[in-house]
Amino acid sequence: MTRDLLVVDRVVKRFGGLKAVGGDDGLSFAVPEGTFLGLIGPNGAGKSTTFNLISGVLKPDSGAVMLDGVDLAQARASRIAALGLGRTFQTPRAFPSLSVLDNVIVGADNEGERVGMAFSGRWRIRERALREKAAAVLARVGLSDRIGDRVGNLSGGELRMLEVARQLVRDPKILLLDEPTAGVDPSLQVKLSKILVDLHAEGRTLIVVEHNLHFLLRIADRVVVLQNGRLLSQGTPAEIKADERVIAAYLGADHAA
Amino acid sequence: MNLVQLFLAVVMFGSLFSVLTLSLNLQYARGGMINFGTVAYFAAGAYAYAIVTQEPPSGLDQYLVGLHGPWWAGFLAAGVAAMAFAVLTGWPTLRLRGEYLALTTFAFAEMLHSLLVNERRIGNGTVGLANVERPDPGSLGLPDAWTYAGAAFVLMLATALVFRHLLASPYGRAIDAVRDDEGAAEAIGKDIARLRFEVFVISAVPIGFAGALYAMITTLVSPDLFTAEVTFFVWIALVLGGERTILGAVLGTMALVGFQELVRAIPFESVRAAEIAAAGEDIVTGVLFILILRWQPFEAMMKRRRAA
Repeated sequence: MTRDLLVVDRVVKRFGGLKAVGGDDGLSFAVPEGTFLGLIGPNGAGKSTTFNLISGVLKPDSGAVMLDGVDLAQARASRIAALGLGRTFQTPRAFPSLSVLDNVIVGADNEGERVGMAFSGRWRIRERALREKAAAVLARVGLSDRIGDRVGNLSGGELRMLEVARQLVRDPKILLLDEPTAGVDPSLQVKLSKILVDLHAEGRTLIVVEHNLHFLLRIADRVVVLQNGRLLSQGTPAEIKADERVIAAYLGADHAA
Repeated sequence: MNLVQLFLAVVMFGSLFSVLTLSLNLQYARGGMINFGTVAYFAAGAYAYAIVTQEPPSGLDQYLVGLHGPWWAGFLAAGVAAMAFAVLTGWPTLRLRGEYLALTTFAFAEMLHSLLVNERRIGNGTVGLANVERPDPGSLGLPDAWTYAGAAFVLMLATALVFRHLLASPYGRAIDAVRDDEGAAEAIGKDIARLRFEVFVISAVPIGFAGALYAMITTLVSPDLFTAEVTFFVWIALVLGGERTILGAVLGTMALVGFQELVRAIPFESVRAAEIAAAGEDIVTGVLFILILRWQPFEAMMKRRRAA
């Protein structure tokens, strides 16, 4: 029995008077270590809100999120990231004034970013190792030939890969990807799914929000389905595919039965 | 005023104000913080220097403290005072963004100005502190103006080198990331509040040193010298030189100081002519500012050079 790396416990989040996430007794699910969890649901189901609640961008009104046994209630997003949570955004975000390589290194380096480090010059030694590590990660996501480029020259799909690289270089305990296939052409999608499958095989814990059901049901080993902020269903991809409530939520009630 | 004097004045004041522009450049162009209270850190440095070095009060003096310390103690105190003021003003305000931060820092600077005017026990109120003590280069056989112009130049070089060193390290990369996208920087564990606060405080220190040197050069500190005009002057210089490079900040300041000193150097026949020239100087500065904002010639030049 593996331990639960991430626990979402009776979480409720309201926007105005509206309950965006939670339902009657709050949203609860657990992510055991090494799981590849797919988070799906129709538009407005609360997938991105759930993501933001886990990564600390939003704070739950009630309930708790625990990462590796640590309650994240009081933690800022940067602290949660430092605790080992990596995330990407629905619209890819990069640092335009940094090169592609620096966009990745900046993810790995927190120790070298100190005033004392800058003046002692000790960062130069670390920097060499960081460069190699970042270059290796960039090679993994297929951006080797863009290393010295400016991020302004990257395509939407490449920006997504760059964001994944920036998180991978940090070796997060758990990686959250928000719609990684949106705006990514099919050949890059194949590459992305291979990367995700490999990461899973390495024993990493992943949560992926996706619209693209076929993409996700093929590679995830566990799926959580949300609807109107509630947990509609959870189980293995095979169970989810057979679940009539899920089919109804996605395709309309007519298709169920 | 002959050419040598003009040259010395431009180097002296140009270098001195370049220190302010460089600090502003670090805060704004790299740190993404709009500080409209630059003059306050300058004033804090100048007053700290004067208070530490002056003799205890006597006669008509209304100030309370005069430590009669050596010049270097005053110089160090100036850096510490500017830093302390940055800590005091930065801590509650740095969560603010953009124009809100600009307004708050402006308000803090105005508060310090009012305090210096109204609280006579700090520095004699509006009268200020005259005859500020300073080392005499003549005792070492050095010409006065050249020495102080050289000191200002060295302070500017030191500031530029220290900032460049800092920005070329991973620290510079981190603050670039925070400026570019705070949310994405938080997602990789950057402590945004710490980084912004540090940049804000570090960049205040050289401004304090410049304040001390300014007090030595003018031998007077009074509230009149430290109005919001200084802040705007430095902002214009920064825009003039382009905000992206250290060299740009320095050249912009030198050009602006050079222009002002040039106008000042014209031998006027009457007071009226001098008044007209002073007004003309302000108008030309304003027009220059608008023209540069409109066409950004220096930014375009840098872009062309980078592309080539």
